[in-house]
Parts: sequence; C-alpha cells; structure tokens
Amino acid sequence: MRSFSHLNARTVSEAIAALVQFDGRARLNAGGTELFGALKDEFLPEYPEAVINIKSIKGLEYIKEEKGHLRIGALTKLSVLSESRLLRERYGALAEAAHAVAGPQIRNVATIGGNLCQDVRCCYYRYPRHIGGPINCARKGNGPCLAVNGDNRNHAIFAGRKCFAVCPSDTAVALALYDAQLVVVGPQGERQIAVRDFYTPIENLLQRTEIVREILIPAVTGTVTQSFSKFALRTPIDFAIVSVASLITLEDGICTDARIVLGAVAHNPHRALEAEEFLRGCRLDVEVSRQAGEFAIREAKPLSKNAFKIQIAKTLVSRAIFGQPAGFVLKGNFSETTSSTQMCSGKH
Amino acid sequence: MSDITVREKNKKISQAKRVTLIINGEQRNLEIGHLPHQVETTHTLLHTLRETLGLTGTKLTCDNGACGSCTVLMDGKAILSCMTLTVECGGKDITTIEGLKDRDTGALDPLQQSFIDHTAFQCGFCTPGIIMSAKALLNENSTPTEVQVKEALSGNFCRCISHYQVVRAVMAVSEGGA
Ligand SMILES: Cc1cc2nc3c(=O)[nH]c(=O)nc-3n(C[C@H](O)[C@H](O)[C@H](O)COP(=O)(O)OP(=O)(O)OC[C@H]3O[C@@H](n4cnc5c(N)ncnc54)[C@H](O)[C@@H]3O)c2cc1C
Ligand code: SF4
Ligand code: FES
Ligand code: FES
Repeated sequence: MRSFSHLNARTVSEAIAALVQFDGRARLNAGGTELFGALKDEFLPEYPEAVINIKSIKGLEYIKEEKGHLRIGALTKLSVLSESRLLRERYGALAEAAHAVAGPQIRNVATIGGNLCQDVRCCYYRYPRHIGGPINCARKGNGPCLAVNGDNRNHAIFAGRKCFAVCPSDTAVALALYDAQLVVVGPQGERQIAVRDFYTPIENLLQRTEIVREILIPAVTGTVTQSFSKFALRTPIDFAIVSVASLITLEDGICTDARIVLGAVAHNPHRALEAEEFLRGCRLDVEVSRQAGEFAIREAKPLSKNAFKIQIAKTLVSRAIFGQPAGFVLKGNFSETTSSTQMCSGKH
Repeated sequence: MSDITVREKNKKISQAKRVTLIINGEQRNLEIGHLPHQVETTHTLLHTLRETLGLTGTKLTCDNGACGSCTVLMDGKAILSCMTLTVECGGKDITTIEGLKDRDTGALDPLQQSFIDHTAFQCGFCTPGIIMSAKALLNENSTPTEVQVKEALSGNFCRCISHYQVVRAVMAVSEGGA
C-alpha cells in the first residue's frame, strides 16, 4: 500500500480530533476488511494521508439492553453479534445478517460500524489502479454512470438516480427492519441518523470528520416472527444479489403488522411498503405470501441486465412470509447455517 | 512550511515508534520506520511475516481478503493477515503454521500429521491457511461435527479440490471424529 501516517486513537474525541487535524484526509480503521481492499486497489480519487486505528478505543464493544432500546457499540464484531444469545432470541434477523457477511476470518475482526460505513461494490467504481484503472464515474463526481449501459447485473432495481450501486451492507437490511438509528459523533457534537436514511444514491450521510459510536435499536416487543435471508452465489466471498428481512406480528394466524426490507436492490435498504400494507389483516397462507411477493416488486424498474433480481426478490419475500425457506430454519443450533439462503424465525 | 508540516506540528496523538507482539511464542519487538529491517505503517501482518521475519509458511494469494490462504491465529482466532496492519498488532499473540509443531520435540501437530496421512492437498498452497482455520475451530470445539468443520473452513478456498480429503483429515483428529 502507498504510504500513510498511522495513529492509534484512545478515545472517540481523539479520533475526531485526528480527523479534524487531517481535514478529512484521513480514514478510520476498524476491522480493516473493507478499508484495506480500498487502499490496496487505489480506486478512489484521493488517497488518505493517515489511517486512524479505532480498535484502540476502549469500551465501544458491547450489546446492552436498556429502557426500550438495544444499544450496540460500533466496534462490536460480527462474530460476536452472530453468536449472541440475546440477539438470537430477540433480534434474530440481525444475528443472521451478521452471520451472512463474508467468511469466519472476516467476521472475527469486522465490526458493525465498518459494515454500515463500507463503500459500494460496483465493478466500475472499484476497478483497481494497478490493472488499468481507476475508472471515473458519476459517484466519483466525474462523468456518467457506466453501469447504465454496461454490466449492471448487480445494480439497483429500485429508485436509481445518478448512481445505481446498491448498499452492500447485510446488517443495514436487518437494522432498517428494526428502525435502528446510528449515533454519530463529530466536532459539532452528537446526532442520530436513521439507518434507513443513511444511504443516498451517491454517498452516505457521514461527514469526513464524524465517527459512528453506537447503534440504537428500539426494543422488539410482542409476538413476532423475524427472518433474514440472503441469496448469493459463494457465500463467504460474495455480496448479496438480493436479501430480505421481515418482521411479522401475528394474532391468531392473522397478520396485524408487517415490515419487509429488501437488500441489494437499491442505494439503501428498501422498505416494501405496498407488500406490508397488503399483508395487514390477512390470514397468512401460500397465496397471500405469493401476492405479497408481487407487491414487493411492483415499483421495480430493472436496468438492462438485472431483471432476474425481481424474480429472486419475489421468491425471497414470499418465503419469508410463509412456507419453507430455501435454506435453513433457525432452531437453536446456530452454527449449522451453511446454505446460501439463510433464514431464522423466533417467537417470543 | 507546507500544509503537512503544519499539521504534523499540531498533531495530538503521535505515531508509535515500535510494536511488540508475540509470534509463535516468541516476543518480537519491531521498530516502525522506512529501513529494510523495520516495519512500515502500511505493512500488513502477512508482509511482515514473510518479508521481514522470513516466515514464508503463511501464503499470499489474493491479498484482498477473499481466499483465506494468509490465515493465521490472533489470540486463538482465525484472521486474515493480508487485511491486518502489523502496527496494529501490539500485544497480540500470533500463531502461524510454523508455530504448530511441538516446540521441544519438533514433532508435527496431530492436525498437520493428519493432513499428510489423508493427502489433504494437491499443490498445497492453500494448506497452511486451511490448517490454521481448522486449528482455530479445534481450539474452541474439540469435537466438531462435519457441518461445523465445513462452516469453519468456508473462508478458505482451494483450487485443487482438496476439500473432501481436508474434511476427512480434520474429522480424524476431532475427538468424536470419524
Ligand atoms: C471477501 C469479502 C467478502 C465480503 N462480504 C461481505 C458481505 O457478504 N456482506 C457485507 O456486508 N460485507 C462484506 N464484506 C465487506 C466488509 O468485510 C464488511 O462489510 C465488514 O463488516 C467491514 O467492517 P470492518 O470493521 O472491517 O470495516 P473497515 O474496513 O474497518 O471500515 C470500512 C469503512 O467504514 C469506515 N468506518 C469503520 N468504522 C467506522 C466507524 N465506527 N465510524 C465511521 N466510519 C467507520 C472506515 O473508515 C472505512 O471507510 C466483504 C469483504 C470481503 C473482503
Ligand atoms: S453505479 Fe455508481 S459507482 Fe457504479 S459506475 Fe454507476 S455511478 Fe459509478
Ligand atoms: S491472501 Fe489474504 S485472504 Fe487471500
Ligand atoms: S491444494 Fe492446491 S490450492 Fe488447495
């Protein structure tokens, strides 16, 4: 990698001070599993002058239950989230989403903060400098989006604008399901941003001098069934082609509330509002779940080569609501998830 | 004075001068700097192991977090040394493939012997990484099921299709194993 200064921050304020001092030309490093890919491939117009290690900040690794909320420290590792009993029992979609990220070695070091702040995976955007890149495009503020007329198999099928890269984060899909907030700290103090609003078509809302300190999840209550399933080809290295998280409240077999979020189909985790609306008041059966799948993709506008995602999204949504998931139903032995679509359901 | 030097002057946290870590049971005190024997801030643990310390058992393949051939143990857990900065390894306990043999007798670890007995490789390039991932699993769970072995090895790729023999080799040393 090209040279950079390296600092170990001991506190959140030290990290912010260092970001300010480098005037935004520094990058935070948590697990490094995304950052070093970016620095090695040098696809961004600016190379950082400094890397600021935030693993040296004490006390940012926790999962805590508190009055009406679950709080997760930004440095909490994905392996810890996926194995947490509390999460498995009450926030199963998040545990499953954390488990769906990459392979074991990556989950052992990758953090939830880094997972949420990672950059997009568009093949043009990330094309490496050392094999003929980098390639300029709309997201880099230079030229049009190349995916529109090019290889857009992995791009958005909803609400594309300027840039059609999809939000790559698996945990963001589960967190959007719970209406989670990011607690972000910067030189001006602290603010909260809903995970659902965090991603815009061209970037995320984090300023160059800000750091994500924790994730705040409103407590999940009542009798709910939740699931997260991800369709990918080679799970340990591939990002989602489509993923779906669902949270269904049932009373006597009737759906009283439904939340459905699709991943890897838009620049943000995409709420399937029409499908949710349709499901309220329905008795769940095969036909209803099929129709919900149709509602979930009604607004989709695929690009030239990614209409196949619609079929996958439809199938994942109807399976999330009713019937057998393609993969594995979570029943307590959590280490046994191996198939490419994973699903969990828990009642409490 | 250039921008950078102004910033250097106002720097609140200073860059570390050394990093001390344990590699295969031996404490290593490495200087941070630009000389050949020193560690640069940009060096990955993989680079330091191979190029600075001569421990070439750990393999470099994709250098991008995707293949698992650079897997080592950090405080007992399998991690990718190609995505880890050496300067961030202070106080860590690292084990590489070279560190598995018995330190007194030099005898191979039973897991290594089992790979030989089952011919669990062809070219062998992925093997050190696979053995380290398997070792991490066996440290936590000495009686894994086949499904757990496959899950633990899911981040290690092999181009020679040694997977079947690998799973057998690992199951053979699992206490409840085949
Ligand atoms: C082979 C491979 C497969 C992968 N598969 C998946 C996948 O299936 N799903 C998925 O979601 N991801 C995947 N990833 C991407 C990545 O590994 C994960 O997203 C991981 O969770 C990133 O976490 P990290 O702590 O390593 O982040 P880092 O690399 O440390 O950071 C990522 C970015 O976030 C910023 N950042 C980190 N922490 C903070 C913070 N607290 N506040 C503000 N900014 C911060 C960093 O500056 C950097 O820009 C994969 C990566 C690889 C190499
Ligand atoms: S999808 Fe976004 S990142 Fe990819 S080429 Fe288009 S503008 Fe660039
Ligand atoms: S060389 Fe580290 S994962 Fe491939
Ligand atoms: S034995 Fe050749 S890559 Fe695995």
